[in-house]
Amino acid sequence: MPDEISYTGLFFGFLLLIIPLLIMRYVRLNMGKESLTAIFRMTIQLFLAGLFLTFVFDMNNPVLNLLWFFLMVSFAAFESVQRQEMDLKSLYIPTLGAFLGGTFLILMYVNLFVIDLANVFEAPYLIPIGGILLGNSLGGTIIGVGNFYSSLKRNENRYVSRLSFGAGMNEALMPYVRKGLRSSLKPAVGDISTIGIVHLPGMMSGQLIAGASPILAIKYQIAVMVSVYVSTVTCVTLAIFLTSRICFDEYGILNDQVFRNTPDVS
Amino acid sequence: MSSELIRYKDICVDFHGSRLFSKFNLIVNQGDKLILKGRSGSGKSTLLKILLGILHVDDGEIFYRGRKVSASNIWDIRKEIAYVSQDTDIGEGIVKDLINEIFSFDHNRGRKYHRKRNSLIEYFGLDRSIVYKKFEDLSGGEKQRICIIISVLLGKEIFLLDEVTSALDPELKEKVVDFFLENEDWTLLVVSHDNTWDRVAMDEIFVDGCEINA
Repeated sequence: MPDEISYTGLFFGFLLLIIPLLIMRYVRLNMGKESLTAIFRMTIQLFLAGLFLTFVFDMNNPVLNLLWFFLMVSFAAFESVQRQEMDLKSLYIPTLGAFLGGTFLILMYVNLFVIDLANVFEAPYLIPIGGILLGNSLGGTIIGVGNFYSSLKRNENRYVSRLSFGAGMNEALMPYVRKGLRSSLKPAVGDISTIGIVHLPGMMSGQLIAGASPILAIKYQIAVMVSVYVSTVTCVTLAIFLTSRICFDEYGILNDQVFRNTPDVS
Repeated sequence: MSSELIRYKDICVDFHGSRLFSKFNLIVNQGDKLILKGRSGSGKSTLLKILLGILHVDDGEIFYRGRKVSASNIWDIRKEIAYVSQDTDIGEGIVKDLINEIFSFDHNRGRKYHRKRNSLIEYFGLDRSIVYKKFEDLSGGEKQRICIIISVLLGKEIFLLDEVTSALDPELKEKVVDFFLENEDWTLLVVSHDNTWDRVAMDEIFVDGCEINA
């Protein structure tokens, strides 16, 4: 077991925050309150998660574990729609579908064939690995779907001209799908290729601290990196195609009402 | 005998909260060559866009070959109508790749176009090497001609041409106008401020907002 961190220890951890606060004071950057609020929120959230996970891990009930995972998925879908400044009511369900399809199935595959678990719903695997997949796909989806719709809105002429050149809707959307995917995968590919040299990822570090052998830790890390990549591609693609069913009218024209903060011209 | 191709019936369109058209009526027969005239902002381009289902009418109906234009048939109608828009913003990348991608669409696949592409490029006074250039680097006039060439290569017989000669020099304007007027079967709906189109007898439709009947 890793060394315990005492509450005094945590206090010393928080003490480090004096450095950014002093820097902000010196350069007159007005972000102190914002940062402290975020850190306070993070602390409360993690304590609650700790309490709840203790309970979930103790029970290790497949239904409860799945429920917890679906709760994370539904929160990710909410966050994704919210951050893209799109209409929650119409886009929540397709986004939820994208995250479920892109993370849950891949998670099951990893637990079943890669880690080779007897029980694929085992809490210590389902929840942390599910969380890693979700967290990364969420980031990718916010960038990818956001880029897809913003470039469509910016270059709607090009889309319309493709329609008039005889393209079906999916054919006309392809350049935008490519753009969206590229923008979301670039950071992922960058991360993958620098890992092990520039930084040791959180999961691997965690295993090393917990006393696992470095070889076991890297095997997990490799499996996780591959599945993160696959689930990001899947989530972004699904999110684009599922939301596009709703963001376009039957004539294949972008429906402005799904975007919040669209300046009203009339 | 000329047969009816397109019919605008009592079209009303609102734009920015005010009425752009009320009860616009127009019949376009096969082989007609019509030019839409009117001050800028009078909605000439809008008339082309609503036929393609890019903009929607607030009231009234459009018929294409006798059938009411709706979400279910608009996809087929778009495949029969060539549209060259005034912004010429059709994409980015190498011209050749842009054209190839258009001909990889399900509807256009199998259509032979390479030889005709080259002869049209020459006819419209462009250099053949233009296909290796980036579309976004071309001049306005070059873009217009590439858009015209693509629309012709698609082999359609109905053309909606929105200010397609505006950036061309007089000699080329003539060439483009000749090219489109030469073919008797083609149906043209032209929006243009160029008087090059005027030297031939084209039917003029004045678009100024209200109660137009033609």
